[in-house]
Amino acid sequence: MANDLREHTPHVQVWDAPTRLFHWAIVILVFVSWLSVDQGFMTVHLCSGLALLALLVFRIGWGLIGSTTARFRDFLHPPRTVLAYLRNGAGMYAGHNPAGGLMVIALILVLLAQAVTGLFANDGLHFSGPLALLVGDDASTRLTAVHSTIFNVILLLVWSHVVAVGFYLFVKGHNLVKAMVTGKKPHAHVPAEARITFTRSYIALLLLLLVLTAGAVAWFTIQGGAFL
Amino acid sequence: MRKTPSDLFEQLHREQQTRRQFVGWGAGGLGAFFMNTAMAAQQPTTSTGLSFKRDPSAPLSALPPQFPAKVKRVIYLHMGGAPSQLELFDHKPTLSRFGGQLCPESFVKGKRFAFIRGVPKLLGPQFPFHQTGRNGTWISDRMPHTEKLIDDLCLIKSMKTDQFNHAPAQLLVQTGDARTGHASLGSWVTYGLGSENQNLPGFIVLASSGPGPTANAGKPLWGSGFLPSVYQGVECRSAGEPILYLNNPHDVSRASRRQVLDAVDAINQQTRKEFGNPETVARIAQYELAFRMQMEASEAMDIRREPGAVLARYGAEPGKTSYANNCLVARRLAERGVRFIQLYHWGWDSHGSPTDEGINIGFVKRCKETDQPTAALLRDLKERGLLEDTLVVWGGEFGRTPMEDNHGGSTEASKYVGRDHHTAAFTIWMTGGGVRTGMVHGETDDMGYDVVKDPVEVRDLHATILYLLGFDYQKLNFAYQGLDQKLTGVKPARVVSQILA
Amino acid sequence: MSALAYFGGVTVATVLGLGIAMLLRPGFAHAVLQSAGLESIPISDGLSFYAVRVQPLFDAHCISCHGAAREKGGLRLDSFAGTMRGGKHGAVIAAGKAQHSELFTRITLPATDDKAMPPSGKTPMNTDDVTVIRLWIAAGASGTLPVGAIKGAPRLVTPVKMPEINPIAVRKLRAPLAGQVAELQNRLPGVIAYDSRSSADLILDASLKREAFGDADLRLLAPLRARIVEANLSFTAVTDASAPQIAAMTALRTLRLADTKTSDATIRTLASLKALRVLAVANASSATLTALREKGVRVYGDVNGE
Repeated sequence: MANDLREHTPHVQVWDAPTRLFHWAIVILVFVSWLSVDQGFMTVHLCSGLALLALLVFRIGWGLIGSTTARFRDFLHPPRTVLAYLRNGAGMYAGHNPAGGLMVIALILVLLAQAVTGLFANDGLHFSGPLALLVGDDASTRLTAVHSTIFNVILLLVWSHVVAVGFYLFVKGHNLVKAMVTGKKPHAHVPAEARITFTRSYIALLLLLLVLTAGAVAWFTIQGGAFL
Repeated sequence: MRKTPSDLFEQLHREQQTRRQFVGWGAGGLGAFFMNTAMAAQQPTTSTGLSFKRDPSAPLSALPPQFPAKVKRVIYLHMGGAPSQLELFDHKPTLSRFGGQLCPESFVKGKRFAFIRGVPKLLGPQFPFHQTGRNGTWISDRMPHTEKLIDDLCLIKSMKTDQFNHAPAQLLVQTGDARTGHASLGSWVTYGLGSENQNLPGFIVLASSGPGPTANAGKPLWGSGFLPSVYQGVECRSAGEPILYLNNPHDVSRASRRQVLDAVDAINQQTRKEFGNPETVARIAQYELAFRMQMEASEAMDIRREPGAVLARYGAEPGKTSYANNCLVARRLAERGVRFIQLYHWGWDSHGSPTDEGINIGFVKRCKETDQPTAALLRDLKERGLLEDTLVVWGGEFGRTPMEDNHGGSTEASKYVGRDHHTAAFTIWMTGGGVRTGMVHGETDDMGYDVVKDPVEVRDLHATILYLLGFDYQKLNFAYQGLDQKLTGVKPARVVSQILA
Repeated sequence: MSALAYFGGVTVATVLGLGIAMLLRPGFAHAVLQSAGLESIPISDGLSFYAVRVQPLFDAHCISCHGAAREKGGLRLDSFAGTMRGGKHGAVIAAGKAQHSELFTRITLPATDDKAMPPSGKTPMNTDDVTVIRLWIAAGASGTLPVGAIKGAPRLVTPVKMPEINPIAVRKLRAPLAGQVAELQNRLPGVIAYDSRSSADLILDASLKREAFGDADLRLLAPLRARIVEANLSFTAVTDASAPQIAAMTALRTLRLADTKTSDATIRTLASLKALRVLAVANASSATLTALREKGVRVYGDVNGE
C-alpha cells in the first residue's frame, strides 16, 4: 500500500542539467578516447582528451558553486559514514550516497590524472601530447606508461560503478540511470527534509567559458615559453 | 659570477662581440679577466671533465680524447670533383647490359641533377672488373696498385649525401654542413685533441690537381668556421717554400726575426690586456708557431731527405706539386705527430666534355696520378706500424650517375664519356686503427642508382671518424649562435659499428 | 532479486567475460595463466641464439612501442615469453615457419606499407637483422638453442656505446699517481699524457723529442711505468740500457722502438709483457721476434722478416 503510494507520487528534481550533461558527456568521451587510441586516430584522441580535461575542471568548479546535489560538501562524507553505508545501506540521500560520492571523487581524480598525463604522453611515432616537449623524451615516455596504466584503473572503476548502479536497479529497485537522464527521482527515494537549491544553468555556461578561456591562456603561455 | 678565461673565450665567440662592446663591459669585467688569467696559469690544462673549453693562451696544447682512442691521427684523401664509383669499386654487370638504353623514369622523376635534363641513357661501366683479395672483392682495372691492398681496406659502397653541386657537397663532407661558416673536420679534431707537435700546425692541407677547377668551395673547406681561427687548416705546398711567407726575407737572420717577433709580441700582449679578445691570443700563438715552424716545417716537408727507393715507390719527384709528393709528405707529417693531414686531388669531375672532364680522359689520368702514391702511402704506413694508430679515408664529395651525361655536344658526343653528379650512392674507403678491413659495407641496387643496404650518411661517417679518435660526436661541441654546434649537425647521426674492428 | 543473487550473477558474468576474452585472445590467456602461476613462463637461455642475436634486435628496434613503456597491439617483445605470447591478434611467431609468422611478415613489408614494422620514421631493420630473425624462426623459434647452433647467421655487430665520464671516479682512479704524473709532465713536457679523459692509463710519447730523450729520461718515468699502456720511443736516443725499464711496463700494449739503438737484447726482455699487441722495432732479428709473433704481437719494421 505504502509502496504503491510512493510509486505514484510525483518525482522530485534532484540533478541539475549541467551535472547530467557532464555525466553523459564523460561517458561518451571516455568511450571515444578508448576507441580512437585503439584505432590510431590520434587527433580524435587529442580532442576527446582535451574536452575531458576541460569538463573535469568545470566539474570541480561546479562542485563548489553548483546546485546542492552537485556540490562536493553534499556527497563528501567521512570514511566512517561511507563504511557504515556500505555495510547496511543506512540513510537516505537526495543526491549521491556516501559510496557514490566516493566514486565521483575517485573517477574525477583518476580521469584528471589520465587527461593530464595524456598531455605529456607520446605514441612513439608521429604524435605526442601538446606538452610532451616541455618534459623531454624520457619523462614523456614514462608518463605514457603511467597513462596506459591509469586506463586499467579507469576500467576497474567504471566496472564497479556499473555493478553498483545495477545493484540499485535490480536489488533495490532504484533506477539511477533514468534519474541521471531526467534529473528526477521518485519522492520516496528522496528524504523529506532534503532542501535542494539549484544554481542557474547560465552560471554553468559562464563557468565552462571561464575554464576554456583559462585553458586557452595557459596554452598560449606555455607555447610561448616553449618555443620562443 | 666570476668567469674563467675559457668561459670568456667561448662567450665571446657565442656573442660575436666586437672589441668595442667588450671594452664597454667596463673595468669590472676586465679585472675579472686578468684575475682569471693569472689563476688559470696555475691550473693544469689537462682536464678530466666533459667540456672542451680550452686555455686560450695554449690553444693547441695536446689534450687526451674523451675515451681511449683507436687512432691518433687522420689522413684524409679527398678526391675533389668526385670519382666515379661505377668505374672503380661498384661492380654493376646489370648496368652494363642495359647501357645505351633510356633510363627508367623513376631515376629522374622528381629528382634534380646538376646537368642531366629529360630522360638520359644508361651508361654501362667503362672498364672491366675482376675479383681480388681473400674475399673476392670486385674492383675495376683502374687502380692496380691500390688493388693489391684491398684486404687492408674497408669499402663503404653505401655513402649518401644530399648535395648535388661540388662546393656544397665538398663543404658537407669537410665541415658537416653544405653552407660556409662551419668548422672543418680537421679543425674539430685539433680543437678536441690539440697538436702533438708544437712546432708544426695540427691541421695541414696539401692540395694537388689535374687541369681544370680546383677547390670549388675554396678555403672554407679547411676553415675553422665558428671555432677559434687557430684551429683552421694550414695549406702547405710540396714544391718551393712549403708554407708561403714562412721563410725569413733575404738578409734577415733568425735572431733579428726573433727580435722583431718579441717586439710584436709585446704589442700584441698589450692589445690583449686592453681588449681581451681571444683572437689576439690566437695571433700571438700563430706568430710563435710560425717562428718554430721555420725550422721544423721545412725539414718535415723536404722529401729530398727520403731515400731514392722511397721516392720511386711513391713516384714522387722533389720540386713538383703533385699528389705523389703530397702522399710522401703526408707520411712524414704523420710520423711527426701532425693530427690531421688533409690531401686534396682535384679534377675528377667526369661529365664527358672535351676538356679534361671525361671518364675516358681525365678520369683515366687521375687514376694514374693517384693510384701508385696512395698505395705507397698505405704500404709505408703499414710497414712502419703507423696504420695501427692512423686513420686513412679516401673519397669524393658525391658519386656519379648510372646515367650518361654529355657536355661535348652532339657532334663530339661519341668521343667523350661522362656521368653526372650523383647523391644517392657513392663509394669511399677507410683503413687504419680500429677499422675492420677486407670488408665491403653497404650495397647498391643492380643499376648502382640507390643504396639498398646499410646506408651511411656523411654525418654517420663523421661520427665514426670522431669515435675512432676517442670522441662521442655529441659531446664534441662548441656553443655558437645559441646552439651547441656539432660536426654532425642537428640531424641524428650514428657510429657505423659494422665497420669497426 | 536478493543482493546475494545479484553479486553472484555479477561474479559469474565477470568470470565468463574474462573466459571469453581469453578464448578470443590467446595472448591475453597466456598472460593471465602465466601471471597466475598456472602456466610456466617460457624463459630463454642466456647463451641462446635468441638471447644473443634476436632479443638485442627487438631491444633496438621494437621495444619502444612493444615493451614496458608501451604495449601497442598488446604485444611485448622485451622478453622471450612476451615474444612467444604474441599480441591481441594472436601469436606473432610460427615456430619453424618464418613466412607464416606475423612478426617476420611485418618486418619484411616494403617501408611504404601501412603495416610495415618498424613504422615509417623509425630505423628499419637491415637485411642482416632480418636474416637473423628468419634463421631463428626457421630453426624452431627456440629460447634454448645455443648461439652457435644456427649456421650462416650474419656477423654479430654490437652497437658502440659511448662511455660516460664520471669526473669524480676518474679523479679517484688517478689519485695514487696524480702528483707524480703532474710533476713529470712539467719536467718532460709533452712526453706523458693520459690515455683519455676517462682513464688513469698513460701514454708515453717521446718520439718528437728525438735525440733529446734518452735512457736517463726514461728512468725518470719509473714511478709511472705500471700505468703506461703505450710507449713511443722511436727516433729517441734510448738504448738497450733501457730494456729493464721497458720490460717493467707491465700494462704495455704498444711499443715503438723504430730508429733507435735498441737491439735484440731489448726485444728478448719483452716476453714478460702479457698485454703487448703492437711492436715497432729496429735492428731486431726475426728469430727473437718469432716468439712474440706467435703470442699475437703484430711486429713492424723487422727488416729481415716478411
